[in-house]
Amino acid sequence: MPYRAAVVGAGITDATSPRKQQLSAVELCQQATWAALDHAGTTPDTLDGVVVGNIDGFEGTVLGARNLTRALGLGADLPVTIINTGGTTGGNLMQVAARMVRSGSHARVLCLGGPTFFGVRDLQSAINTNSPMIIEQPLGMGAYHMGAFAANAYRQRYGLTPEDLAAVVVADHEKASRNPHAHLRYTVTEDEVVNGRPLSSPLTQPMVCPVSAAAVAMIVADADDVDDLRSTPALIRAMGMSSDPYLGGGKGDFAEMQNLATLARRVYALADVRDPAAEFDVVEIFAPYAHMQPMQLEALQLAPPGGGVELIRSGATSAGGSLPTNLSGGPKCTNAGVAGELAPYAYAALQVMGAAPEPIQVPGARRALAHGTGGTFFQFENLAIFEALPRSDA
Amino acid sequence: MTTTPTQAVHWDLHYDIHLGATWSRFMDGLRDRKILANVCPSCDRVFVPPQAYCESCFERTDRWVELPPEGSLEVFTVAWHGFRGGPTPPYAIGGIRLDGASTLLMHWVIGLDFTEPTTLLAQLPAGSRVRAVWAPQRTGQILDIAHFEPDRD
Amino acid sequence: MPPRPPRPVRRMAPVHVVGLAATPFLPEQDAMLDELVFDVTYAALRECGLRKQDLGLSVMASLDVLDGRSISSGLYTAAAGGYLNDAFRIEGDSGLAVIAAAEAVAAGDVEVAVAVGVYNPEVRSADREARRSFLAQVSNLGFEPHFDRPVGLTAEVVYALHAAHTLESGGEDLDAFARLAAEEITRGSERPRSVRTAPVTAQEVLASEQVAAPLRELMLPAHSTGAVAVVLASPARAGRCLGRSARITGFGHATGGYTWDGRWLSDPAAPTRRATRIAYGQAGISAAAEQVGLVELTAPTPALHAPYLGALGLAASLGDKDVNASGGARSNFPGLANGALRLLEVVEQLESRAGASTAVAHSVDTGTGLVSEDVSVLVVEAA
Repeated sequence: MPYRAAVVGAGITDATSPRKQQLSAVELCQQATWAALDHAGTTPDTLDGVVVGNIDGFEGTVLGARNLTRALGLGADLPVTIINTGGTTGGNLMQVAARMVRSGSHARVLCLGGPTFFGVRDLQSAINTNSPMIIEQPLGMGAYHMGAFAANAYRQRYGLTPEDLAAVVVADHEKASRNPHAHLRYTVTEDEVVNGRPLSSPLTQPMVCPVSAAAVAMIVADADDVDDLRSTPALIRAMGMSSDPYLGGGKGDFAEMQNLATLARRVYALADVRDPAAEFDVVEIFAPYAHMQPMQLEALQLAPPGGGVELIRSGATSAGGSLPTNLSGGPKCTNAGVAGELAPYAYAALQVMGAAPEPIQVPGARRALAHGTGGTFFQFENLAIFEALPRSDA
Repeated sequence: MTTTPTQAVHWDLHYDIHLGATWSRFMDGLRDRKILANVCPSCDRVFVPPQAYCESCFERTDRWVELPPEGSLEVFTVAWHGFRGGPTPPYAIGGIRLDGASTLLMHWVIGLDFTEPTTLLAQLPAGSRVRAVWAPQRTGQILDIAHFEPDRD
Repeated sequence: MPPRPPRPVRRMAPVHVVGLAATPFLPEQDAMLDELVFDVTYAALRECGLRKQDLGLSVMASLDVLDGRSISSGLYTAAAGGYLNDAFRIEGDSGLAVIAAAEAVAAGDVEVAVAVGVYNPEVRSADREARRSFLAQVSNLGFEPHFDRPVGLTAEVVYALHAAHTLESGGEDLDAFARLAAEEITRGSERPRSVRTAPVTAQEVLASEQVAAPLRELMLPAHSTGAVAVVLASPARAGRCLGRSARITGFGHATGGYTWDGRWLSDPAAPTRRATRIAYGQAGISAAAEQVGLVELTAPTPALHAPYLGALGLAASLGDKDVNASGGARSNFPGLANGALRLLEVVEQLESRAGASTAVAHSVDTGTGLVSEDVSVLVVEAA
């Protein structure tokens, strides 16, 4: 018999640069796990599974998640499932856990995202090994170059200026400055962003995410078996993933996110979301580069084509606006790899649970959208919709 | 401030990547200054680089066609910084739609004035015509095409 | 409120196996990984009369470090039918991919799902020593970097430590290990999927190359490469499919402890026991010895055969022909594709043998040997 799945606890550690981080990866994961268990009001012995993310090539390990998870002391022989789908790993952890719970084979599953980029010396070289070898890698095609393609195509299509891209960054930093867990908590001006160190045209350093060290954990559980818990569950109302082909050349159009747009239609239909801009109380999307957030808002039907930057400039996506988006500051200000990818899911769930960090909590948030993207040329997308599930015993 | 204790850990593996029949044929073509694409028997999409299968129809591709070494530059970026093992910056990488192709081929584009960063997009607007320049020595790899140059005729 | 124990195992809605396909099993596949994935996914869908568009989910099992690139599933997600669809990759044995796909069907989220395991390490096989050295290096990188990697732990070392421990504790002797290996290899030698194709004697096993004392080459899995795809469907959708008629009624997964707890040495079958308890509970199996008629189990060394069989509750009940009729991992072990291969073997045996109606497919991930061992147990019934 199928069951319903909900997030019943989430834990997010404070983020720092890897250089300043005093804790080991295991210690960060332990902190996040304990925080999630504490938030749910439960203990490790109620868990019957762990789903954990791991990107070997970035971490200098092979399935490091496996010994890492054992080091947390979560109980003998607890099944550990390791997911690796690049930038969608974090969000997919929750989707895999939700299926385990929805099938009835598991009752409570821990999702754990560790600090993927922690300790790598040649990070850019490591990340670039996901660009298609033989065909695209010999060209010096790496992660942010793939991002820059979309930035240029989008700019040309809609006549956007570097200042427009900078406006997105300014807004993200302003939000992150109020999130106690964020890594880059300083504010910036459009001038500082536009005149930052050029990386890959048109992207400057401030338009690209930092490398952070942090961990995020989340507990996915049977939504109708929560009597022993103390949190307000975030029901996983709908979810889905979508994939593009491998080669960057397989993208139909770099100026619009068609893969995400089709996924959004599918997931919205599952949740009966008919007017997304009006129906979401809060949105967390994985937008590590400046041009991504406006493009994603458009693909998600939250802004008209070419209107993403205007929506952000209008203040609608800021705290108190009609569509609070990435109040966490998003991956633009904190990106700890798999932890950074799980973060949009954790923040979105925390918002409808009424348990987001106080300075960024949207009062009375009931429905939230969470998003992840990654892989070669951002070929993978995932989405989930959370709804507050008021407790019958409340 | 205390120093953060770390230990050096090295990860170094060597691989011989299996090219497979499809990419082998493409690489052999480059040696002879030919850009070979293959075609989905169901929807007629033309793939370059070639694919063993069409992801949309889920059918094995079969027919091979030779494409002209010219097409339109749909998008590009200039990389201002290098990385270990990568090319020397700055360099421009573009997504090129060869005439007759359904997909984009990624390659270097030359002919940009890097001293004018603010005019890059104006120098090569989307849709600019470009042409492949062959490397004098060809060994069956993607850099047998040295780069693409603007076709200003 | 006092902490509550994990909920008892619940019965599962059955999930049907409707399509199964494998590549030939070879020392090395001369193909890009996506070609292997496409070929088996295509063939498995064809077998049951389904199309890519029928798929609700594709789950892959593979490992970046063997594939030679990070996020390697990016290369073959579309080849597994994942284009513009739900798809993800598990790093581990394909038994786990089968379980994840079955969960999506059992959850009612999808009608048809495919699980694909692909294994073709991106190194040449001609130089056997170089390949062995590569795989050992990959295994070593799977261990904790500050304590265990520097002292050279690998899967083979862990297996050998356990085998030595078994011999010293007097339970079995080396001749018994050799006899078991010889029987399995000989039984499998005439099967088309085996990569050890000649019968061998116990003496030949004992005379084969030393790997890590006390283990010899022929006591260890018969390394091969390949890909296997499994198409699963809901009972109603399976009714409209061609092809296979088997159903998975229980699936259990467990992961063992790390080096320091020592249980991998003293009680190596503990993860198998946990996975078995869950799988049998879901399938409603209360007396395995009476209910289970055949098993394909994966014991990477002969020293693990009896402990695993015991953990499955089948130590005394099954005859030689009912345990690893295929010859098991000592006849063919395609790395991470093994879990799906063991399922393929039991489904075929259920199809071809009168009498047997319930079977078990057991698989382990040998990446770090018994340390953090990943186990999957599938209960399969003839439909």
